[in-house]
Amino acid sequence: MAEPGTPGGSVTRVEDGPLVSGHGCFVADLRVPGCTEAAFVRSDTAHGRLRAVDLGVSRQVPGVLGAWSAGDLEEIPLVPVLMDPDVDGGRPWPALAVDRVRYSGEPVAVVVAEDRYLAEDGRDAARVTLDPLPAVLDPQVAARDEVLLYPGRSNVAVETTLGDPIDAGVWERAAVVVEARYRYPLLCHTSMEARAILVRPDTGGGITVWCSHQAPHRLRGDLADALGLEADKVRVVVPDVGGAFGGKSETWPEYLAVALAALRLDRPVRWVEDRKEALTAGPRGRGQSQWVRLASDAGGHLLALEMQTDAAVGGYPHTGSFLPEVTGRMAAGTYAIPQVCVRARAVVTTTPPLCPYRGAGRPEAAYAVECTVDLMARRLGMDPAQLRRLNFVRPEAFPFDTPTGFRYDSGDYAAALDLALRTVGYADWRSEQARRRAHGGTPLGLGICTYVERSGAGGEYGALEAHADGSFTATSGCCSTGQGHATTFAQVVASELGVDRRRVRLIEADTAVVPDGVGSFASRSMQSGGEALLRAARDLVSEARERAAARTGVRVDTASFERGAVRANGSTFTLAELAADRPLRSEARAEPPQAFPFGAYVAVVEVDPELGTVHVVRLVAVDDYGTVVNPLVVRGQTYGSIAQGLGQALYEADVHDEEGVPRAVSLLDYLLPTLSEMPEVAMDETCTPNPNTLLGAKGAGEAGCIGTPPAVVNAVADALRIDPTVLAIPLTPRVCWEAGR
Amino acid sequence: MRISLTVNGEKFRLEVEPRRTLADALREDCGLTGTHLGCEHGVCGACTVQVDDSAVRSCLMFAVQCDGHTVRTVEGLAAPDGTPHPLQSAFTAEHALQCGFCTPGFLMLAAAALDEDPAITDDPDRLRELLTSNLCRCTGYESIRRAVRRAADMPGPPD
Repeated sequence: MAEPGTPGGSVTRVEDGPLVSGHGCFVADLRVPGCTEAAFVRSDTAHGRLRAVDLGVSRQVPGVLGAWSAGDLEEIPLVPVLMDPDVDGGRPWPALAVDRVRYSGEPVAVVVAEDRYLAEDGRDAARVTLDPLPAVLDPQVAARDEVLLYPGRSNVAVETTLGDPIDAGVWERAAVVVEARYRYPLLCHTSMEARAILVRPDTGGGITVWCSHQAPHRLRGDLADALGLEADKVRVVVPDVGGAFGGKSETWPEYLAVALAALRLDRPVRWVEDRKEALTAGPRGRGQSQWVRLASDAGGHLLALEMQTDAAVGGYPHTGSFLPEVTGRMAAGTYAIPQVCVRARAVVTTTPPLCPYRGAGRPEAAYAVECTVDLMARRLGMDPAQLRRLNFVRPEAFPFDTPTGFRYDSGDYAAALDLALRTVGYADWRSEQARRRAHGGTPLGLGICTYVERSGAGGEYGALEAHADGSFTATSGCCSTGQGHATTFAQVVASELGVDRRRVRLIEADTAVVPDGVGSFASRSMQSGGEALLRAARDLVSEARERAAARTGVRVDTASFERGAVRANGSTFTLAELAADRPLRSEARAEPPQAFPFGAYVAVVEVDPELGTVHVVRLVAVDDYGTVVNPLVVRGQTYGSIAQGLGQALYEADVHDEEGVPRAVSLLDYLLPTLSEMPEVAMDETCTPNPNTLLGAKGAGEAGCIGTPPAVVNAVADALRIDPTVLAIPLTPRVCWEAGR
Repeated sequence: MRISLTVNGEKFRLEVEPRRTLADALREDCGLTGTHLGCEHGVCGACTVQVDDSAVRSCLMFAVQCDGHTVRTVEGLAAPDGTPHPLQSAFTAEHALQCGFCTPGFLMLAAAALDEDPAITDDPDRLRELLTSNLCRCTGYESIRRAVRRAADMPGPPD
């Protein structure tokens, strides 16, 4: 058996061979005989009454095989709800707009042709007549219900209150009370491969679906429900996926329209989203407007935190309405604040649909809490590291029940912060800052973020079979979108069995082969899927010991297992031998509770007050993911999420004009970090194993998106000697220049 | 229009519309799907291939512009006997890919640069400028930079 904390090691990935030689297979790469291509006619208006959709000319375009708007269909499938069934009532989301559009880019019609050029010719020939209605882009404005997206229903789709109301006396007794407002802009996931789906009708009335997706079993169920098919008539296969980051967990209206077109044409239909569609009509993340109030006594003991957060969930609340509640539940952050109360609202707005984006509610919480704590430190005249240390949940307090209803499993927040401060050289940088402030030089700032986040949700399926040739097949309900499960899950199994990991083959992401599964999102794969495979491996060993004991006529407790073989009554049997005459397999389901990874990020920045430019000199990330199976892979994901976190802090925002039309239509407008924007990054880890699993892993991969933005914003505020609340992300040169004046 | 081009040493005669991009001709007409399309407007660089030994974005070039020219794609990067190009080995060794979608573009970009001047890796600014050409959303780029440096230190490319 592997020692806790050493289940794998930094091995390189078995996935890489095909991907570095051009032999990967993404949805656009599939060669399916007779395949046609789809393009979508989309609304160019954020909010309007749909008067007419004329596809007459589209259908005349040579090569166009069919074109449909909602008016051409007797019945239009409805988009299912991701998490929160209550938002659906009275707010149906048709796959193609019926009588109203609620975001710019909403699909109005689908055109299918022999190839994509012709499909786009057909799309461009469509004529859509809309009567514009007022756009509502800000969730706090939308919540006033002056312009209703669904006549007769409030724009507030969900309102949640977390924690007990805070005694009014707390605010009066407190030595210091600070208030702050934040706006986390809407962001685009911008996976390098945008969304993609191919639907092939099969004989017998079923369909095979290849989709760039994170949750194939859910997609199967959703498609079956929406199309009126039995679930066993729908097979979903996820081939290589070019990144997902939360935007591929859902069942989007385009998927339903493609399936419908395939069934009508009785031909395979593929839709590959182009970058303009992804940036203007695709899913969005974040998008919260927040108000925070924080009270402290004179000694820096935090007394109460109140938060109100409103999320712009887009024209249809089906995929993002649960996110503000996630933010609210994380409102205590890493701190033992006696009273925390949150009002979280999901508000419909005439923007593209909101859904989880890497971090999914936790970055929004960390941003509000960590900037407000820095604001408090400024008011108290305390060092921000010291204020944090004073208020951390203590290691002995775990499991810790937050006032907002979460149970933090384990942690040592001060250890992570101390390691981060040592790694960055905090005292030296403070000296340098003091020197520059006294003697001149480019303003220098330090910013800290100590975060706790939530990982994992629900159970996961895992199975394992030993074969007579000495190989093993592991089956998982997870779905890699670049994380490297074929390598890391094999490591979990191999180290448990004491066999060569290269003999373990992983199967996942095909509903015809994997009987059950949840998928890969919420940093859940290793925490839940790895745990399921570890349990399956232990069950396999138990079965092997029983077989060996039976063969040699001894009691099972005298049969021992080591390095892939059972010793019983003086004989040794390999797992291959024990699998020779009948299958040796096991199945397991892991249902661990949510885990709470944590860490500390420190940014060192220089800000040019004349130009407003931010230079991130150094970024230190200390993360605690519990047990890490493959440090190479986990650090790779940490680094990548730091890059996305820097994008959030400094560059990225989905900006709309007053009419709600997206301004960013290309990657020249929506700015992603390149290598030249990357600072010197140092990563380190503390390890507090997950106490609720055998494996000990907590979620990894999203932390950089959570920890980086508040650290950078606090550092810029520190450099400019202003309140962090004066700054609004992304910290463009203009924002910093104005703030520094 | 009728064109002919040599891709990875193989001659292709194609009938293409003038508007067909090189990327689509490679993917759909030559069956070489290793070249990926990430933006189709010349920013991300995922579709980078080599035309007459220069790295180009194949989404910004029409197939007809390559009539009579030589193209190399990621499928032609390894040696004919299958020995991986040093960059391919180095990308795996340094974990320079996660989803792998942008990888062919980075490989062809770096391969063209190393062919032209292997000393590029000795100049941090030139190497940074080169790799700033392309976008990756998974790695944060540092592992890609390390991989290109590592490849430059390995025995020469197989061709």
